[in-house]
Amino acid sequence: MTLEKMGIPTAPMVTIAFKDLALSNSAQRGMPHERICFTPHPVWGKSLDEMYAYLDGNDPVSGKPLMKEVVGALTNPLTAEEMQSGTTTPSTGPETYEDTADNLQKYYMDNGMTDFMPIVLPTEDCVAAMLKGTSHAPDEMVGKMCPAKGSYPEWSYNVKQVAINAVMAGAEPEYFPTILAIAASQLPAMSSSTNSFATAVVINGPIRDKLNMNYGIGAMGPFAQPNATIGRAWTLLSKNLGTCGQAGMTYLGTLGNNLNYNNLVIAENEKESPYPPFHVEKGFKPDESVVSVFVGLDIRQGQGGAGLGIKPVPHYHEAFAFNFATMASLFGGMVVCDPLVAKGLVELGYDTKPMLYDWLQKNSTISVKDAKSSLFAARFAQGPYANYPDDAQVPLFRGVDQITMVVVGGETNPYHMVANMSYRGSVSIDKWS
Amino acid sequence: MINRRKLLSLVGMSPAILAGSRAEAQSDKPIATHRARQPLAVRELKISALNPKGNPPPIQLIPMAPRLSTLDGKTVYLISDGFPGADQFLNEISIWFKKNMPSVTTVYRLKAGALPDDDPKLWAEVKEKGNAVIMAIGH
Repeated sequence: MTLEKMGIPTAPMVTIAFKDLALSNSAQRGMPHERICFTPHPVWGKSLDEMYAYLDGNDPVSGKPLMKEVVGALTNPLTAEEMQSGTTTPSTGPETYEDTADNLQKYYMDNGMTDFMPIVLPTEDCVAAMLKGTSHAPDEMVGKMCPAKGSYPEWSYNVKQVAINAVMAGAEPEYFPTILAIAASQLPAMSSSTNSFATAVVINGPIRDKLNMNYGIGAMGPFAQPNATIGRAWTLLSKNLGTCGQAGMTYLGTLGNNLNYNNLVIAENEKESPYPPFHVEKGFKPDESVVSVFVGLDIRQGQGGAGLGIKPVPHYHEAFAFNFATMASLFGGMVVCDPLVAKGLVELGYDTKPMLYDWLQKNSTISVKDAKSSLFAARFAQGPYANYPDDAQVPLFRGVDQITMVVVGGETNPYHMVANMSYRGSVSIDKWS
Repeated sequence: MINRRKLLSLVGMSPAILAGSRAEAQSDKPIATHRARQPLAVRELKISALNPKGNPPPIQLIPMAPRLSTLDGKTVYLISDGFPGADQFLNEISIWFKKNMPSVTTVYRLKAGALPDDDPKLWAEVKEKGNAVIMAIGH
């Protein structure tokens, strides 16, 4: 679209699997008649002969020869509609819906406004109660969000609109500043990517105890109302305020991700951690309450990692590097460990997190041969290691800033998990109280 | 001291088994749902709930660029958005032009950055040296 604006005729080619996405996206971005040419799906993984056969075949949408469509997209004179300018404003429906509770539940579900589980209906009274959880005015703008920055128009939202979604998630008013801080991060809980991204929020500071958040046994499981509903609110507000999670149009994750139900909510166990809390690493004061948001692909158990059987202190750092080795370099590596593991790392000489990050960045490696055959080969070819010999081991993550660590859990055993996730920013909860 | 009644209820067992009432503890009788227990009048009561949607921005309609009268003798940039296979696919397009429209010059480029990222340097190059663009492909 940028090229069209510059006066350069362009023929975007998209596979048929992304037809709805491409067409709706073009319309939302102001070019509803963009000349998109469609190929069969997929292209990735096809042989060169198969790809060429696509070109010799038909566009599956128009039914006409594909390359004739491409050439025509660049040379056929514009229609009046294609030259249209001006402004339109999309509608999002009425301000309120009136019906029985059962019918409203069904209406919200059928219209893509839920996570397909029953919600707390956001009546005016419930929303007014939620708004008492913050000193901010209902009409104050909180932020903007879309399923993938730069690819979709961003929707804006105010405090009241966030409150409506917080009610729907089952949150209590005292949780509201934390939910507002997440909303203010502007990071969607669901991206449009075919990768089925997941998100995480690390919560630090006094708010954890004030809300009775669980950072002990089962901290990341369904064992506490604030952990559960704050995470669920992130999903619902991403759907309703940021247009995320509409399968086929704004969500293309081929497998989906169970974490999208309420995301990974991690209240850090600051009391038992030997390291400064995560928010302090990012420049906040210990007594500030802060959310830090992450995006990536997954979280997985680390028990299969090398080094864990070494006595008397397991070499946790080696296990982390072993776990990291299979990750996608698209995102960073995040260690999520029990306090017992963190204390073990101190015994091993990692007195500070940066010492650990530095070691992990250098020792979480991939061979050049593997990097060249990975999904990210094209990016690797642009990087500093592209000309290294195939058997050289090179860092998987491009910098120390790609490594993070948080401490959580109830010390029932020295276990850890690793998440293929990158840090995306922190927002003060106190500022939204 | 452990409250065994509470413990049993937490693990989903009826405390009634402590009193030896096996019939009640193992009853197959379905538990009434909250909804079914509501009086009909309550279930039919209409309530008002708020729209949870955000605010979409106004859409500025963008006129498309004027088209070329022909591709003969023109330079077409084949730009990869970086998705896997896009480079090979665009190379096949280059081959197609050589076979079918040999007067067309094609130039392959990989756009910098991630999918939505702008690449002003490349756009400037296309503006200066190219006449049209084919961009692909997103899987």
